[in-house]
Amino acid sequence: MSAVLDVRGARYALPQGRVLVEDVSFGVANGETLVLLGRSGSGKTTTLKLINRLLEPTAGEIRVAGQPTYALEATHLRRGIGYVIQEIGLFPHFTVEANVGLVPRLEGWSAERIAARVRELLALVGLDPGVFGGRYPHELSGGQRQRVGVARALAADPPLLLLDEPFGALDPITRVELQREFLALQRRLGKAIVFVTHDVREGLLLASAIGLMHEGRIVFLGTPEEFRRSEHPACRAFLAAAG
Amino acid sequence: MAGAVTGGRRLALACGALLAVGCARGDRVVVGAKNFTESDLLAELVAQQIERRTGLPVERRLHLGGTFVCHRAIIAGKIDVYVEYTGTAFTAILNHAPLADRDGVYRAVAAEYAERFGFDNTFAIVVRRRDAERYGLRRISDVAPVAPRWKAAFGYEFLERADGFAGLARAYGLRFAAPPTAMALGLTYRALADGKADLIAGNSTDGLIQALGLVALEDDRHYFPPYEAAPVARADLLGRHPQIARALDELAGKISEDAMRRLNALADVEHQDIAAIAREWIARSLP
Amino acid sequence: MSLFQFYAHNSREALTLIGQHLYLVAVSTGIALAVGVPGGVLLTRRPAWRGPVLGLANVLQTIPSLALFGFLIPLPFIGGIGARTAIVALVVYALLPIVRNTYTGIAGVDPAVREAGRGMGMTDGQLLAMVELPLAAGVILAGIRVATVVSVGTATIAGAIGAGGLGVYIFRGADMVNNTLILAGALPAALMALAADGLLGLAERKLAWRAR
Repeated sequence: MSAVLDVRGARYALPQGRVLVEDVSFGVANGETLVLLGRSGSGKTTTLKLINRLLEPTAGEIRVAGQPTYALEATHLRRGIGYVIQEIGLFPHFTVEANVGLVPRLEGWSAERIAARVRELLALVGLDPGVFGGRYPHELSGGQRQRVGVARALAADPPLLLLDEPFGALDPITRVELQREFLALQRRLGKAIVFVTHDVREGLLLASAIGLMHEGRIVFLGTPEEFRRSEHPACRAFLAAAG
Repeated sequence: MAGAVTGGRRLALACGALLAVGCARGDRVVVGAKNFTESDLLAELVAQQIERRTGLPVERRLHLGGTFVCHRAIIAGKIDVYVEYTGTAFTAILNHAPLADRDGVYRAVAAEYAERFGFDNTFAIVVRRRDAERYGLRRISDVAPVAPRWKAAFGYEFLERADGFAGLARAYGLRFAAPPTAMALGLTYRALADGKADLIAGNSTDGLIQALGLVALEDDRHYFPPYEAAPVARADLLGRHPQIARALDELAGKISEDAMRRLNALADVEHQDIAAIAREWIARSLP
Repeated sequence: MSLFQFYAHNSREALTLIGQHLYLVAVSTGIALAVGVPGGVLLTRRPAWRGPVLGLANVLQTIPSLALFGFLIPLPFIGGIGARTAIVALVVYALLPIVRNTYTGIAGVDPAVREAGRGMGMTDGQLLAMVELPLAAGVILAGIRVATVVSVGTATIAGAIGAGGLGVYIFRGADMVNNTLILAGALPAALMALAADGLLGLAERKLAWRAR
C-alpha cells in the first residue's frame, strides 16, 4: 500500500537561525493514523504545518499522494488536505451548511452537489442536517462546533487529514465522546491522518502509529504497543506523567 | 514731614485709582478695519497717528470683516474708529441709490466722518491684460459682447450690495455664462490670475493689479459712486477726546491715489509689515 | 424675513447649493473610500507600514481645515480655486477614519478564523472578500460614518474658495451680518450630517458582526 503522505528529512529553520524541526521522516498510508506526540515546543505543530505549507520547509521533501508539495500551488495543495485546528475557526458569519460546504464551493461544485455532500457529512459527524444546517456557530456548543470543523475538513473528500490538537479546547467528557466518534469515523472512511496532541492517553487511543517528538526531532516512531514497551527515556517520561 | 508723606501717598493712590479706571475701556481707543489690505493699512495709520498725537493707548482689530460687520461693530461700540468709503456709506449703509457726485456724497455722510484722506478707491472691474488686448477692452461697456462666454467671480459683499454686481450688470447690460461664483474677496485675484474667472471686482488702488498683469476697466457710464476714504469715529469718543479729531484732520488730503497704490503694493506684493509701512509713511509725510 | 420665507423665495438657489454640498461630500467620501479601504487592507498585509501611514494620516487630520484649504490653493494640479481643491481637502480629512477603521476591523478578525481559512486553501483575495471584509464591515462602516459627518461640516469652507455649497449662505450671512442667512446655510448642513449619521448608523447595525 503506497503512502498517501511521505515525509523525508523535513527541516524548518527560522530566518534568525533557530531550528524548530530537524530531519523528520515518516509515512502515512490509507487507514493509518499517525499521532505526533510531544511536549509544547517540541515541533509537532510546526511539522504539521510543513505538510500543507502553512510554513515552507527549509529542507527535505514532502509528498502527498505521490506529488511533491512544492509542485503545486499552495492553495491548491491545501484544498486537497483536510485541516482541523484546536480553536476550530468556523466562520461566524456563515451557517453550519455554508461552513461545511466551503471547499466544495471554492472548487466550483454545483449547488445541489454541495448541499447533498453537506447533508451527508453532517449526518456522518452525528449532527442532524435539518436541525443544525441553518444554525450559526455561536448557537452551537464547543463539541458541536468541532464536529462541524471535522465535517468541513472532509467536505472535498481529501485523502489526507491534518488535525492539530482538535479536542484540546473541549471539556473532558466531550473530548472522550469525540475521540470515540473519531475512531469510528476513521474505521469507516480509512483516511490517512496526522494527529497532533500532547495527551498521551489520547495518542495511545487513536494512533495506529506514534511519532514522539523532542526538540524538533522524532525520537521514537512505532506502534502504540511498542511505545508502551519502549525503554527510551522520553517515552518513559510521557507514560509516567500520564499515570 | 510725616503729614506731607502720608498726604503724598494718598494722592499717589488716588491717581493710581483714576488711572486704573481710565485705563479700563474708557481711555483705550479701538481701531477696526475691513477685511482687505488697504483697510488694514489705513487703520494702522489712524492708530499710530492717534497714539503719537494724543498718547492714548490704541488697540487694533484689523481684518474684522466686511462693511456691514464694521458698521455693526462701531454702532455697538465694539470699535471706536474705522476707515470707510463715502460711496459705501452712501449706498450700502445709508441705502441711497448710487450717485456720482463726490462732494455731494461726502456732504451726505459728513455728519459722522472726519476729513477725507484725499483719494478715491473705487471698485475696479479687472480683467487679464492679454484678454484686454485680444478683445480691445478699455471700458466696462466693452465687456458686454464677451460676457456671455465669460465667468465672473466676486466677494460676497460685492454680490449683495446695492452698488454691487446686480446694479453693475443692469447698468452695463452684462450677462455672464452663469451666475458669478462667490468666494472670499482675497481669493478673487488668484481666481482671475489662474484663469478660474475672467472678470472680478477689485479695488482701483490695489497693488496686485499691476503685479499680476491685470487691467482695470474704465467706468464709462459712471455707475459707481465715488469712494473717498475717510475715518469714521464714534461721537462719544470724539466728545471725550476732542484731540482725536484734530489728530485725524492732520491726515486730510495727504494720500493721493498713486500714493495709496504704492503703499498697497508694499504690503501685497513685497509683503512688508503693515505697521512698518505705516510708520515710515508717517515719518515721511507728517510734521 | 423668517427662515421659511427665505427658502420660499430662494428655493432654486437653496436647492442648487444643497446639491453642490452633497456633490462635494459624495465625491470626496467616494474617493476616500476608494483609496482608504484598500489602503487599510494593505496595512494589514504590511504591518511595517502601519506606524508611518497611520501617523501621517493622524497629522493631516490635525491641520485646521481653513489652513489646509489655504495650503492647497497655491499648489499646481490639485490646488487653485474651486471644487477640485475643496474635494482634495475633504478627501484628506476623510482618509484617517476610513483607513484606520479598515485596518482595525480586519486586524480584529479572530486569528483562528484566518488560519482555518488559509489552511483550507483560500487565496488571500478569497479570504479578504469572503471572510475579512464581511466580518470587518461594521467597523469599517463606523469609520465611513465619522468621515461623512465630518465632511458635511468641513465642506462649508468650500464657500470661501468658490466651490459652492451651503457655506455660501454662511459666508454671505457673516459678511452681511444676517443671521437668517447664516442659519439658512447651517441648518441644512446640520440636518444633512444627522441624516448621514443616522443612515450609516443603521447600515452599520445591520452589517455589524457582533461576537456573541
